[in-house]
Amino acid sequence: MFLPYSIVNPLTLVRIVRELPRPGQVSVMEGDTLEPLHIVAQTTLPPNFSVINIAQELAVPPKKVKQALKVEVGDVVRKGHVVAARGGLSNRVCTAPFNGTITGFGRGRLLLEAQPQMLNLTALVPGRVTQVLPNKGAIIETLGAFIEGIWGNGKESYGVLRVVVRAARHPIRPKHIDASVQGAIVVGGARLDEETLTQAIEMQVRGIIVGGIPPALLPRLSEVDFPIIATEGIGNIPMSDVTFKLLRSLDGREAAICGQLRTRWGALRPYIVVPMPAQKGSPIDPESPLQIGTRVRALRAPNLGSSGEISDLPTGLIHLETGARLPGAQVNFGGEVAFVPFVNLERLL
Amino acid sequence: MDETRPIESILVADCGTVVTKLLLLERVETSYRFVAQAETLTTINPPWGDVSVGVIEAIEEIEQVTGRTLLSGSNLITPREGLTGVDAFVVILSAPEPLRLILAGLVREVSLESARRAAIATYSRIEAVLSREGRLQSPEETWARTVRDLAPDVIFLVGGVDGGATRPVMELADAIALGTSMMEESRRPHILYAGNDKLRPHITKLLGEITGVVVVDNVHPDADTEHLGPAQETLERIYIDERLSATPGVELLTTWSRMPLTPTAKAFGDVIEYLWTREGNPERGALGVDVGAASTTVAATFQGRLFVSVHGEHGTAYGPRLRVEQEGIAGLMRWLPEEMEEDDVLALLYNRELRPWTIPQEPRELWVEQAIIRETLRSALKSASATWDVRGVRQVPGLMPQLDPILVSGGGIVHLPRPGQTLLTVLDGLEPVGISTVFLDVNRTAPALGAIAKLKPLAATSALEAGALVSLGTIISPVGKARQGEPIMRMKITYEDSSTLDVEARYGEIEIWPLLPGQRAKLEIRPQRRFDVGLGPGRGGKVEALGGLVGLVVDGRGRPLDLPDDLEQRRKRLRRWIWDVGG
Repeated sequence: MFLPYSIVNPLTLVRIVRELPRPGQVSVMEGDTLEPLHIVAQTTLPPNFSVINIAQELAVPPKKVKQALKVEVGDVVRKGHVVAARGGLSNRVCTAPFNGTITGFGRGRLLLEAQPQMLNLTALVPGRVTQVLPNKGAIIETLGAFIEGIWGNGKESYGVLRVVVRAARHPIRPKHIDASVQGAIVVGGARLDEETLTQAIEMQVRGIIVGGIPPALLPRLSEVDFPIIATEGIGNIPMSDVTFKLLRSLDGREAAICGQLRTRWGALRPYIVVPMPAQKGSPIDPESPLQIGTRVRALRAPNLGSSGEISDLPTGLIHLETGARLPGAQVNFGGEVAFVPFVNLERLL
Repeated sequence: MDETRPIESILVADCGTVVTKLLLLERVETSYRFVAQAETLTTINPPWGDVSVGVIEAIEEIEQVTGRTLLSGSNLITPREGLTGVDAFVVILSAPEPLRLILAGLVREVSLESARRAAIATYSRIEAVLSREGRLQSPEETWARTVRDLAPDVIFLVGGVDGGATRPVMELADAIALGTSMMEESRRPHILYAGNDKLRPHITKLLGEITGVVVVDNVHPDADTEHLGPAQETLERIYIDERLSATPGVELLTTWSRMPLTPTAKAFGDVIEYLWTREGNPERGALGVDVGAASTTVAATFQGRLFVSVHGEHGTAYGPRLRVEQEGIAGLMRWLPEEMEEDDVLALLYNRELRPWTIPQEPRELWVEQAIIRETLRSALKSASATWDVRGVRQVPGLMPQLDPILVSGGGIVHLPRPGQTLLTVLDGLEPVGISTVFLDVNRTAPALGAIAKLKPLAATSALEAGALVSLGTIISPVGKARQGEPIMRMKITYEDSSTLDVEARYGEIEIWPLLPGQRAKLEIRPQRRFDVGLGPGRGGKVEALGGLVGLVVDGRGRPLDLPDDLEQRRKRLRRWIWDVGG
């Protein structure tokens, strides 16, 4: 069976796919060097629209609506503009509910569409365009540290990393969020709580990276306008030592963080990229064999989120506490050795 | 490929949302047997993004196990030459995203309900329902906005009996036309029209200028008739064309196969239909449940009619969290035999969704896993049973119709560590009544056999008869109420060696007597007056029972299953039942 993997790598060639949510125009070319705020592609979002039922509002038969019209298809109107009126004693009028353009007329109704809004897709990661994805976006490559998370709130940003706790098992607290982290991406250890989140919003941080997030806090995180990433999962889970040590070594550097998340059908994972001024990075080899010394992470309790190295690969099946018998590996989690079935392990590349 | 060549070895790839399973079926003397299998993660998602990567990985594993060569480079060798290659290759898929549907119609309880029933016969997700009900301020605008913003794959428009109402259906069609015309051409949905036949030319004219329209028979041609077949077939065809055929990597797999791509649910349904025919008891139905990570398929046959429904919101990995958010967590918590914090259970649901292939290592996580399966089975069955026509089948009102056999499949359930726990989970989830034999699809061969049956029926039936499905045992579930511990049934068991055992079952308990896999026994059942074992209230009789991994089981807990409200009592009772089935 494939052993899945996550990338937690201090220096590698990072390939980032930047794609619009809907077709649009790509504004970069292969070979272009981009900065984080450089616009890669643009698209228009579906505009607000309104069906103005003139026949109903003026109480006239649909066939007679044309006579009452004060606008034509293609006209630009402002909110409150009279688009149709019935003369005579009733003096009824129809007005535009918002600024927009009349785009259709038929069966006694007008279609008013607001000005479409543009969506700009930025590079997020500084680097070089290696492939243009027509009508969609581009692939950007850069050298740097790359860390894949497991949960994100869908937002993204670029800023300076600030590690505010001393150990991977330490939760991030309100006292850690002071003026020194304003505008920074804050790295905590075990978990995030409501009070700390409120403090982070007030301090206008640009992002938060933690090991785990309590489930009760998740609905609120989708409302927050900066990215929040959990590296290990949902719950009170310490950040894995490997990830924490790497982030600590990057303290003070600029990072791009993306909280994208889709769990199936084109799954997307959140990530952190820290660009480095290097010429060459270590290649990621997803085919590398599992052997003694391979870096792994446990994906289920009792070791959920812990990282370590394989110390033995016993043959045959091992009994679990649940009664299941499965193949697996002995993993040394920083001195404590435990058996973990392969199905609950991932390699760290 | 030479179509007349005898097929003696068949390789089946079953690509699920999370796991891909490869099975090698071969002719051994006069019958067909599964001789090797391999399992790997489905590679439809990044970083692989190619379903064939996982299939090739699993084939390589089969090569290692059997010592045979099946691949030449990255290509499967067909036909077989000696010990090299296979004669045929079949792919069944449930990995792709379901069709995203909008239903549009007039009355929720009538035409829209028929549309829903037609939709759940294939892998689909209903994202919105457009109807006049609910007093919308500006219905046309709301409907058009819904269509435009959701950009579904299919808009399934129904409404009006044949020759009946036209205007309300045309209002819906107008709004759909408006919403669809505001989308980029490449994103416009298919329109499936199965409403009032008088409107067919108008609908085709109005919507056909904007997007593709398929017109089929009305799902509700008159007030008393429901006619779902043509709409179901069309949706299945769209699913195969738009999803299965578009699965990344599937084109390589289809070059190896002489069979069309088959949705897993369809293949599973074919096996249940066969099992019903084999049992040949018109007073009972046959039931199959395939509990997957992303969906649960329920297939049932009554009086020779097959009913298949796919419940996309009831998968064991992707469904429970959403259900808990909508309905609360109490339903799940009630099945836990020990104390757990709600937040811990919720966190576990999230983490299972993020890593659905993992398995519990600790008993408390195993209890949550089993609670999820119980609730998944219960809700999928509730939804499925509304689509069944059980006329002519024995049924106590308000309970399940009599079902025999019951087949249970799917990674979540067959990987439970102990057969007793599996059986208990099934009993709690399905609440069967009367006498049923429960089979476990341990090696997930059932959908594969359904697919093989289309290619080589003899091979499929031969493998089934050779024991591809493992029996958990015969289950007797008397219906009735009594005091806890009160005798409800006596039974004389006569084994094949003529030895006998006189036993008694008590209310509220699960009793198990030995009957090994492959063994049969004659039972003389005598229920108490108020209890019905499927032969009528208080009526006994002689029946034959098939043994299994658990044995001969009497579930004396009554139907419907009643869990104590008191938390401690309930946990004590749950622990007792776990003990009854072997811990």
